[in-house]
Amino acid sequence: MNTIDRRSALRRLAAGAGAALGPAAFSGFAHAAASSRASAGGPKRIIFFLQNQGFDPSTCIPAGMKNSGSLAGVKLPEPIAALEPYKERLHILNGLHGLHTSPSHSAFFGALGGYRGGDGVPPGGATIDYELSRVLPETLLPHLCIGMDSMENMNAKPTVANLSASGAGQPIFMHSNPNHLYEMLYGGISEGEIRRQHEARSGLFDRMEALAAAKGTSLPTTDRQRYGQYVAGFHQINGLRERLAGVSDHLRQFAPVVDARYTAPEFETDWHDALLDLGISALKSGITSVLTIGSGRGEIFGAWKGLGIQEQGHNLGHMPQPDNPIWIKIRQYNSRMLVKLMEQLESVPEGSGTMMDHTLIVYTSNNADQQHTSGATWPVMLLGNCGGVFKTGRFTQFDGKRPINALYATLLRSAGVTVDRFNMSEKLAAKFDSSTGPLNEILA
Amino acid sequence: MRLVPFVAIMAALFPAGSPLRAEETFTPGQRVEGDFDGLAKGFLEKHCLECHDDLTTEGDLNLLDLGPVDETNAAVWKSVWAQVALREMPPEKKPQPGVVARLRFADWIVGELQRALADKGGFHAHLDPKKANFVDHDLLFGELPEGIVLKPTSSPARLWRLTPQEHITRLNELINTEPPYDPARPGLRAHGDTVPTNHGGELKLYFGTDNILRWEGGTVAYATAVKSVPVVLSSARKHGFENYPDFYSVNSAEATQILGKAEDILQYMAYGPLSLVGVPEQITDDPKTYDKVKPKGDLRGLPTAIVYSPKFLRPATPLLDLMREDAVLTDEALRTSVAYLFEALAFRPPTAAESDDYLTLVKDSITKVGRKDGVFMGLSAIFLDRDALFRPELAETGEPDAHGRVMLQDWELGLAVNHALRYLKPDPGLRAAIVEGRMRTREDVEREVRRLLADDAIRKPRVLQFFRDYFDHDLGGYICKDNRALAETGVPIRGDAHYLAMFDAAASTDRLIEIILEKDRDVLRELLTTRQVVATETDKVYFGRKHTAEEKKAALATKALADAAAKEKEDAALAAMQEEVAALEAKVKENPADRATGKALDWKKKAFEAEKKKIEQERRRRRDDVGVEVALADLSGSPEFARVSRPSFGAGSMKPERVLATVPAGERFGLLTHPSWLVSHSDAMDNHAIHRGIWIRERLLGGGIPDVPITVDAQLPAEPQNTLRERMRVTREKYCWTCHEKMDPLGLPFEIYNHAGLYRTTELDQPVDGSGEIIGSGDPELDGPVKDAIEMIEKLAESERVEQVFVRHAFRFWMGHNEGLHDGPVLQAAHRAYRDSGGSMKALITSLVTSDAFLYRTVER
Repeated sequence: MNTIDRRSALRRLAAGAGAALGPAAFSGFAHAAASSRASAGGPKRIIFFLQNQGFDPSTCIPAGMKNSGSLAGVKLPEPIAALEPYKERLHILNGLHGLHTSPSHSAFFGALGGYRGGDGVPPGGATIDYELSRVLPETLLPHLCIGMDSMENMNAKPTVANLSASGAGQPIFMHSNPNHLYEMLYGGISEGEIRRQHEARSGLFDRMEALAAAKGTSLPTTDRQRYGQYVAGFHQINGLRERLAGVSDHLRQFAPVVDARYTAPEFETDWHDALLDLGISALKSGITSVLTIGSGRGEIFGAWKGLGIQEQGHNLGHMPQPDNPIWIKIRQYNSRMLVKLMEQLESVPEGSGTMMDHTLIVYTSNNADQQHTSGATWPVMLLGNCGGVFKTGRFTQFDGKRPINALYATLLRSAGVTVDRFNMSEKLAAKFDSSTGPLNEILA
Repeated sequence: MRLVPFVAIMAALFPAGSPLRAEETFTPGQRVEGDFDGLAKGFLEKHCLECHDDLTTEGDLNLLDLGPVDETNAAVWKSVWAQVALREMPPEKKPQPGVVARLRFADWIVGELQRALADKGGFHAHLDPKKANFVDHDLLFGELPEGIVLKPTSSPARLWRLTPQEHITRLNELINTEPPYDPARPGLRAHGDTVPTNHGGELKLYFGTDNILRWEGGTVAYATAVKSVPVVLSSARKHGFENYPDFYSVNSAEATQILGKAEDILQYMAYGPLSLVGVPEQITDDPKTYDKVKPKGDLRGLPTAIVYSPKFLRPATPLLDLMREDAVLTDEALRTSVAYLFEALAFRPPTAAESDDYLTLVKDSITKVGRKDGVFMGLSAIFLDRDALFRPELAETGEPDAHGRVMLQDWELGLAVNHALRYLKPDPGLRAAIVEGRMRTREDVEREVRRLLADDAIRKPRVLQFFRDYFDHDLGGYICKDNRALAETGVPIRGDAHYLAMFDAAASTDRLIEIILEKDRDVLRELLTTRQVVATETDKVYFGRKHTAEEKKAALATKALADAAAKEKEDAALAAMQEEVAALEAKVKENPADRATGKALDWKKKAFEAEKKKIEQERRRRRDDVGVEVALADLSGSPEFARVSRPSFGAGSMKPERVLATVPAGERFGLLTHPSWLVSHSDAMDNHAIHRGIWIRERLLGGGIPDVPITVDAQLPAEPQNTLRERMRVTREKYCWTCHEKMDPLGLPFEIYNHAGLYRTTELDQPVDGSGEIIGSGDPELDGPVKDAIEMIEKLAESERVEQVFVRHAFRFWMGHNEGLHDGPVLQAAHRAYRDSGGSMKALITSLVTSDAFLYRTVER
């Protein structure tokens, strides 16, 4: 990857060239410099959507469908009925397992890491979303995580880290306050209070970078490189803000409108919607290539009062999901979000098609199939074929002998990384994986 | 270039010995001048090519065309360096190069690798603590051969990045008040101890837990509702020592997160629990008053589920006054807060320029976003000051001596001494010494170190961290176990029971180390041989003995009888109670107006239900009875306490209560036979004899093992019907054994324990084989076969060499760099201090911290 060339190009873009470029060109530009792999197909961006409390397979597998087969001619269950028009790009997977991830009450980082997780258990390694953000075409903010929870929790803890990690013991935080996220992404093109906060923070970072640099002038040679990384960290933070500001004309097309949902939300779902809008805008504008959405933020609580669901928190997980009006509402809400993601990405031209043609959505749960689970089956829905790389319009029933790690290895393969396993030693694989390499059942 | 197996690479590197020439002198640590043609080519021709050329490509390696060090052949040169430095090559039977020739060649390779990779991320392997044993032990502690000239030692001027533990302890000081040291219960966590990991092993900063009066829901609901943030500064979780002065920096993601958390911390400093709640009514002495206004519905897992006490329990800081509604924001008030925060985070007062800078920053922020947000935003910058994240040892003042060394002084020296022992800022005594100009000499350092070491109330978590890094006994909770394999060990596997037991075990071992340090006699030998253990109730299993098949059968039969007897008794009790209920019911039916009987019936029914519940619980407990699998250890003893976490999991938080017990002779012998150490050196399904062997080789014998050649497929066969020892036959292949003979025979003696750390006499129903051998230790007295781990440890604990290797590790930890030959005098003095004091850790630390290596910095002027 030619980072230097890409950076120079971004600077040029920031200097004005971007004004003439459409979003696809913007994203594709980074893409062109990033990897020759992309020309051979595969995703340019991936979205992970994890609903907490489990994903009961009977709420997504069409009635009567016991074996793998085409979705044509069958009706999707009520909770995911909104995806009916998109069936031809849907692949429902059942029978992958996460026995080794301890998913009861949430596998936390283990859900995307494919290793043992649990409450209070720090990440044991990098998660798949982070790893993909490193290999997909580089963008200004390669990995964005958003987390949806009850209003109280999002206010009290606007950032938490439960699902994504850049390495062992290195959690990645997800954003839950849309006002803060908006300021970070679009402060440079805002007005009023957001603009003031943004400018103040930018000024602060500038000054801190100067202070840090000043304290590094007389360091021993051996420390300069290491200290340089620290100063460069400020530069990167400032650089992101500057680069975002530099492509403000471009971003302006995509920035959501800050309305009452942000500043005076009636329900937590107002913020959920706003966060989704921000995530979509980050993808459409080419800022981000990997978006991780944690509905319930990877924990065993969460609230959806805006859907008319008065129950909240842990009890939601104790309810059986099939035919449960509460869970039908939550899953339908998720499905509408998935549809919105697809529609929005479809509205943006990219190459000879649209952004959605180069996007994969991975929908699942951080709890496998239910809240109290062994992880014997871990249902997943994939949306998008990424230029024909993935099989779609299908339901695939696995035999319960391949782990979710195999799915993640497959995603890495689709992104051009030659791996046979993801976060699984041969020793563990001998016990938890009946095969090696990608899931051929999902690759076209 | 082909990738080649390396074990055989060097088989014929050095065919001919080269005795030292009198004129050949060598000063370790100085750059070896010379190019490939002038220095290396001749060496390779003379010592290597006999076996590694076109004709004889031993190990599939041809060094004929290796050429000068460059980017493409760096990996091969790195392996050559390792083999030469470790004296692995030439093979023992071949003539050896002279000491100076070998040292010169090895150092030249390092210099060339640094040059060749300078703009490719650099070459740092020689700085890795795992490579420190590449320096020949006998040259450090024995007589130096003629021709080696040592220069007076020092450490490089440098920046140490803070460790995650140091950083979170600093932040914790701003928002939590920790209890003072209690000499009556010295094991309890006290002010100055590190912030420990939580119930799941995560290092987190907790907000307001001391004020929590009530919450709703169970343990997980508590953990979700309470505010906590994970540590931000990164470190690898791996075996062994870290090198913070060379390998760690702060990246942009960390900086961003620190800044975000800084504002949370500042708000808590100013407003306390008020910054955590949705409505002020959550802060009350009487939780019932909150019940009247609290939101409806299920609040479990929500911040609104918590009621906080209004008591002022957090540290009183200038932020409190600064952020009062009626406070006037004068420059002086802002400056006071800047100074307070700066010293709390950087451990020294700000200079006038720093004070001005941050004052300006805060005022600018206030101008832009208003008073409240501006103060928090502006002050948050201090959390990212260089000296809040790194500790500088730049020795910028003072004249270099003839060797380019400058002695640290004042704040730099004071903070270096402080950092050697503590995570908190200098105590008043040390601070006074610094500001009064009494931290400038070796004697000043000795005075302060002795004072700090003598006072138990001044907590010294860095000393404990050294032992964690040395023993690696704190990793057991992070080893992900296969449930079925774990169940076979005999330990309970319900939920996270095993992982909790391991985090508890790490804390228990910590406490045992401290108890041995309190006595401060023969510290290493005691650690290696003590039969004392600090234990929880659960440890009766972990320190127990796994039953043999016959014992299990007998235990099952006994249990079946006992269960049947108990069931009979319980059924009889229930039946009797049921009869009494029936009798009372009949009476009530006969005479419904008899209120006394009605009351008695209600009472009896309740008692019956309670008894039923109790019996059900008892039956569940019997189902889990580990006595069938394990002969439980008798762990009775005096009460003890271990330093466990802040309330992280509500009622389910780790408990400090322990006992100090003695385990049976013949089963356990020192820390290396404790479950905490054994599980830390195990894997998902079995023991890890290789890791254990590496530990003994590196930490006790001072040996080094080259990196695994990338051509090695390091897998043992999956043969559940065979023991680990049998499956490890693959490492006896000629290609592997050269390295594995240094590890396997040292790790296999621990096969007398299973992978949960239980003692066992059989494995797969056959008598367990704990035999092993000490090979090539460097001390002929030590070498030879051993019956099991206990016999091996007995031998090792008596070895002077082992003691010296321990001193080497202490040097690395306290100096922050690997020892070089010029550090030999420091190491020898430290070892003498340890020996002469009867094995005192305090004497060892004092010797190291008053040495030139600690006091002097090499500077570039």
